[in-house]
Amino acid sequence: MTLPARRLPKDLHALEELLRDGQVRRAPALSPPAPRAIPTGLPPLDAALGGGLARGQLHEIIGPSGAGGTALVRAALASATQGGENCALIDPGDSFDPAPCGIDLDRLLWVRPHDPVQALRAAEIALEARFALVALDFGDVSVLSPPKQPRGVIQLVRFEKKPPSPGASPWARLARRAEKHGGVLLLLARAAQAGTFASATIELERGRAQWEGQKGSPGRFLRGVHVVSAVTRHKRMPPSAPLPLHLPLGPK
Amino acid sequence: MKIACLWVPELSLIAALRAEPQLCTEPLAVVQAGLGGRAHVLGATGAAAGVEAGQTLAEARAICPRLLSREASPERERAAAQAAREAASAVSPRVEEAGPGLVYLDVSGLESLIGDDRAVARALVAATERVGVRAAVGLGSSKSVARLAARAASADLTLEASASGVGGGAFRVVPAEEQREFLAALPLYALELPDELREPLRRFGLSTLGEVAALPPGPLAARLGPEAALLSRLARGEDSSALAPRPEPSLFEEGEELEWDASSVEPLLFVWKGLLDRLAQRLSARGLMALELRLQLRLADGSWDERALDLAAPTREVAALLQLLRLSVESGPPPAGVRAVRLTAVTTREVLEQMPLFGSRGASPTQLAAAVARLSALVGPGRVGRPEEPDRWAPFAAVCRKFAPPPPPRVPLPPEIEVSLASRALRPPRTAEVRCDDSGSPLLVIGEGALGGRVVACAGPWRTVAEWWTDAPLALDAYDLELAGGLLIRAARELATGTWRIEAVYD
Repeated sequence: MTLPARRLPKDLHALEELLRDGQVRRAPALSPPAPRAIPTGLPPLDAALGGGLARGQLHEIIGPSGAGGTALVRAALASATQGGENCALIDPGDSFDPAPCGIDLDRLLWVRPHDPVQALRAAEIALEARFALVALDFGDVSVLSPPKQPRGVIQLVRFEKKPPSPGASPWARLARRAEKHGGVLLLLARAAQAGTFASATIELERGRAQWEGQKGSPGRFLRGVHVVSAVTRHKRMPPSAPLPLHLPLGPK
Repeated sequence: MKIACLWVPELSLIAALRAEPQLCTEPLAVVQAGLGGRAHVLGATGAAAGVEAGQTLAEARAICPRLLSREASPERERAAAQAAREAASAVSPRVEEAGPGLVYLDVSGLESLIGDDRAVARALVAATERVGVRAAVGLGSSKSVARLAARAASADLTLEASASGVGGGAFRVVPAEEQREFLAALPLYALELPDELREPLRRFGLSTLGEVAALPPGPLAARLGPEAALLSRLARGEDSSALAPRPEPSLFEEGEELEWDASSVEPLLFVWKGLLDRLAQRLSARGLMALELRLQLRLADGSWDERALDLAAPTREVAALLQLLRLSVESGPPPAGVRAVRLTAVTTREVLEQMPLFGSRGASPTQLAAAVARLSALVGPGRVGRPEEPDRWAPFAAVCRKFAPPPPPRVPLPPEIEVSLASRALRPPRTAEVRCDDSGSPLLVIGEGALGGRVVACAGPWRTVAEWWTDAPLALDAYDLELAGGLLIRAARELATGTWRIEAVYD
């Protein structure tokens, strides 16, 4: 039985009686609180994720170009760096724009690999170095999908040392690294890559752009874009309802 | 004052064995080409019985048919001598390098830190073995006594292979109260006396320092000259030469001479690996890290190819440094075959981690530095660092600076995040064909891949004229375009040529 402290008897002898009778027992050691998740900067999305991007997990953001995936990644980087944590951005497309976007650039390590294979290895190194958030931006590059095994083929089992399977997923290794070192791995891609190795999948849909001013007039501006996001898969939370978002165009 | 002498006898042999410690138990001779092209033995391992310094290689092979030989390498010897000096510096800050492989150090006051004189001498032997060098250590009240003690200790030296090179050092401590007896028993040949002094002493029947000390110094100097007066003072332990400590060099060198001209990167990798292993061991022994690595290659035509690798972060991780060396040489191969290699590390202090009392442990500065170096080795120099907008007007430009994050704040502030549409830069900008209406507004974009389509909405132009004071002036009209399908792009038309380019995609 668990009793709040205020309901325990104040008298020491009465408390000893209860302890002797076994009515009051010492509580098991409390498990340490889970480390604080990294907020995405969008409260509805954080709520759908159970507080934000959980540490030690792989999260995947999927959406077409223009749907705000890059905006979400940068918001997460801004959130983590402003909290005093070091982050790494693996950017094989060399597309990062360091214009003011809320990210504390002093705490951001920008890595520009030449190809996706290097990018995966770079993400692994960054996770091992205990960066709090490692963002892997595959928004511009096509990632090779693992070769598919033909169905209905019975494989012979040989008791000999086999080379690693060509279909072994790099995401499994990266998810293990994230879990071991307690970092968040945030993957941005145009199509699903990590599959079940992702702890949460955030899908984005492109909405309509918002323009201001008369068509053809010099005072016309792009004001932002409406997008719809949803947490379609989460290991601990139910899928969320579609979350409409408005992303204004930042200063340029 | 207590002085220690660290002496590396047979420096050329030790330098060779430091690079190939597995040869310690083999019959090995280090040879140097002499007059007439004949190789002479400089030193030999104990397994080469009968082989002595001064013999020609042919004579040595006649005595020991299984004899292996290695050319003496000035690069290796220099590195070994430097390593011995660093080992001395690890024990005492006041160090004087009297010659290659001969170091004096002031060990006064080390009792509280290390222990008694024997412990200090033992620490010196251990420090030299950590950097792969076998040394004889002598400890006495003056430089000359310490030198003679080291010479006496050299009789107890052995030769053992260790993980870092060669071990088997020995030491001899001469306490002040035993100094007279120690000196008195030493034979005169233990001193490097000039022939013109040694011969008269022999004729006088003097064979030990004790016999010299027993003679009156005045008449001895009158008969044999001022050098005999010096010898007399030395025999009585009256050495007034002071220690002249010099500041520790901040450069760490390792070198190797090749027996052939290396014309591809693979053999060089093999050589660099050994050099970097030894360099990392030396840096580790001193608690240092490489801030910059310089590579010098002596080419077949005698010229030097020199290059500096500016490391993204201080490191002593061999794999990362090896990869950076490989990238450097592959991107700019030397014009001729390589005869000798020299690696020099510019060092900085290792930053030690302060473990937190509460909360999770983050990356230490050393871990971060090692990771940055590994990433730099993986993707190439200049592609890892802190992003920064360059100090010039260029649309969507970015440069990499050194990554040196500040320490985490004591009390983290709640972040203030405003999620806004971000731009993805296209580097270099993609050229596109854009069809416009009569007023100049874009109607259709024909670009590579998905970067094309009918223009649904557009804003602009915004004219920019900049960088006109440079060789690459910039004059363009920029537009924000929404293409059919919803893609939002930033396109610009160059005023000088009329060509269109897509600079960024909004996402």
